[in-house]
Amino acid sequence: MEILDKLKILADAAKYDVSCSSSGSSRKNKKGGLGNSHISGICHSWSDDGRCISLLKILFTNYCIYDCAYCVNRSSNDIPRAMFSPEEMVNLTVNFYRRNYIEGLFLSSAIYKSPSYTMELLLKTVKTLREKNFNGYIHLKAIPGADLNIMREAGKHVDRMSVNIELPSNNGLKLLAPQKSKEHIIKPMGLISSKIVENVSERKLYKNSDKFVPAGQSTQLIVGATPDKDLNILTLSESLYERFNLKRVYYSAYVPVSKHPNLPQISTPPLLREHRLYQADWLLRFYGFKSQELLDSKNPNFDIHFDPKCNWAIRNLHLFPVEINRADYEMLLRIPGIGIKSAKKIISARRVGPINYDNLKKIGAVLKRAKYFITCQGKYYGETKFNEDNIKNSLLANSSDKLNITQGEQLSLFSLYPNLLPLPDILTKITGEL
Amino acid sequence: MMCYIYDGSFEGLLTAIYETYYRKEHPNKILSITDYEKSFLYKDVFIDTDPNKSDKVYNSIKTKISNQTLKHVFHAFVSENEDSGTWIYNYLRLGWKVGKKLDLHLTDDRVLAIHNITRKVSREIHYMQGLLRFRKIKNDVFYAPFEPQFNIVGLLASHFANRMSDQNWIIHDVKRDIGVLYNQEEWVITNINLKGDITFAEDEEFYQKLWKEYFKNIAIKNRINPKLQKSNMPMKYWKYLIEKN
Ligand code: SF4
Repeated sequence: MEILDKLKILADAAKYDVSCSSSGSSRKNKKGGLGNSHISGICHSWSDDGRCISLLKILFTNYCIYDCAYCVNRSSNDIPRAMFSPEEMVNLTVNFYRRNYIEGLFLSSAIYKSPSYTMELLLKTVKTLREKNFNGYIHLKAIPGADLNIMREAGKHVDRMSVNIELPSNNGLKLLAPQKSKEHIIKPMGLISSKIVENVSERKLYKNSDKFVPAGQSTQLIVGATPDKDLNILTLSESLYERFNLKRVYYSAYVPVSKHPNLPQISTPPLLREHRLYQADWLLRFYGFKSQELLDSKNPNFDIHFDPKCNWAIRNLHLFPVEINRADYEMLLRIPGIGIKSAKKIISARRVGPINYDNLKKIGAVLKRAKYFITCQGKYYGETKFNEDNIKNSLLANSSDKLNITQGEQLSLFSLYPNLLPLPDILTKITGEL
Repeated sequence: MMCYIYDGSFEGLLTAIYETYYRKEHPNKILSITDYEKSFLYKDVFIDTDPNKSDKVYNSIKTKISNQTLKHVFHAFVSENEDSGTWIYNYLRLGWKVGKKLDLHLTDDRVLAIHNITRKVSREIHYMQGLLRFRKIKNDVFYAPFEPQFNIVGLLASHFANRMSDQNWIIHDVKRDIGVLYNQEEWVITNINLKGDITFAEDEEFYQKLWKEYFKNIAIKNRINPKLQKSNMPMKYWKYLIEKN
């Protein structure tokens, strides 16, 4: 088979993987070598669906011995199959990198012959790349169930390693991916995180010991293929961040690829839900929120009308309005419409003089949300009475004029949620500003 | 009203700023000769570039204000905005008054003007670190043409010298006819005048084809969103993208 045909099949099979992040590692180039990693990541293009292309995201093979219901590569599915050799993979990566098409490689694979056999092939690929003095970014998906020694070896050569959880609950796993066990997923995660900790202390003693997965590990959850609630998903993410020190959890709206009786029959992926989870995830990681603050058993799912932070603020009105000139950094971050950047700027600007309402706009706060929750030099600018109903109504009224501005993506959403109000700036997912 | 006119070089601009202090004058505008048009409203003062004077201003920004400010000044300068000379002058005047804290004055219009333009310049630099495309040409040189809005080719050089350290490359600003050449050891900025066509290396078209194919296949069909694509990747940068041609 020609390389071109393999590429077609194996890029196509990899595209549902959402992670395009290439940040968090600052691997330096070696003398006479090729490549380094940029600490905040670089996008090299944006595909026709608008997503950032940073890494060459590809499967090593899509031949699979397993039959997971939600997956295109399941063995019972009749599709064209292909497989690279490690050398082909290396050449492709290096040649793309030299032309500045990519930031590095994101390699995963279906399971060919056995988990360990496949993992060996992946190891050979990343090892050869490093031996050829390639110092660009490598993200490797570990194969659940493979020999832990092979994983340990591979971890020495890559910047990030991940194991996909895919389904947020044990029940879901039983129903849709009966050949995988929770054990197979949790074990390598534990291995990776303990190796990272061990490696950090080792490197304090021996400066030259190799870095083990310097950019940490991440995982992916499929949203909407099982009946799990947002609350379950978010608490799972929270404990993954805490227990395994995960760098990122990615959420992927379930794209209907098969008609398995155990799968929900939907026509479009639940994108808005995915979006809300991303917003909430940012709140956990950067804004000091806990999952229990955002959702509880009475409200186990996010409100489709308000982003999670607005939602939280409305339910906690007793903490507001907040005086911009006095609030500490933690509290500033909790104000809807104020992101990390503007909170930092407010703190800086306050050091040289008081801030008035006009200044806030210059600083980049989103006043159309923030104004209901703040005072500026003692004055309230909400233009409405300070109570739950009034604020909710104003927020809704405000966002509904945006209804006609952004279409495209929303058409599919509207068919999914007939009573849906407008989707807030889809870009927040990328910039993380709320 | 008074207008200072400098020769268009960074040293020229810094000399002009030196002269305002030396002559105790307050020009309303500082313009590059390339943007200058005779106007009866202004009294024009032409400034002779003097490296000694510009050095003094350079060092004074560094020691009396900060390195960050120096970077801002340079980025604002390469924006080639007609007003950038005037903005820089006003910004620095405030800077010599308030010192190290200059860039904390985030609500002052003089600081804002500079931060706004430098944000645009930094954004373009970051864009080009990703969107620049090298083509392998004969003799195994990698050649990347582009047409940036701002004059940033020199600000890209060190990034690519670190990254592609084991290949010879050229980054060519086609609009300004300048470029950076790198020979695996050091890089230089020089004028470039290309005549005739460029011959690709043998395997170049093969990899271009693979990349286009990859680009086509990575998009999720029921999420196609040209609007989002264009807002993330402005169309002005598409001309030299392999995957978009
Ligand atoms: S093991 Fe992975 S590739 Fe194979 S069917 Fe299951 S999810 Fe798909």
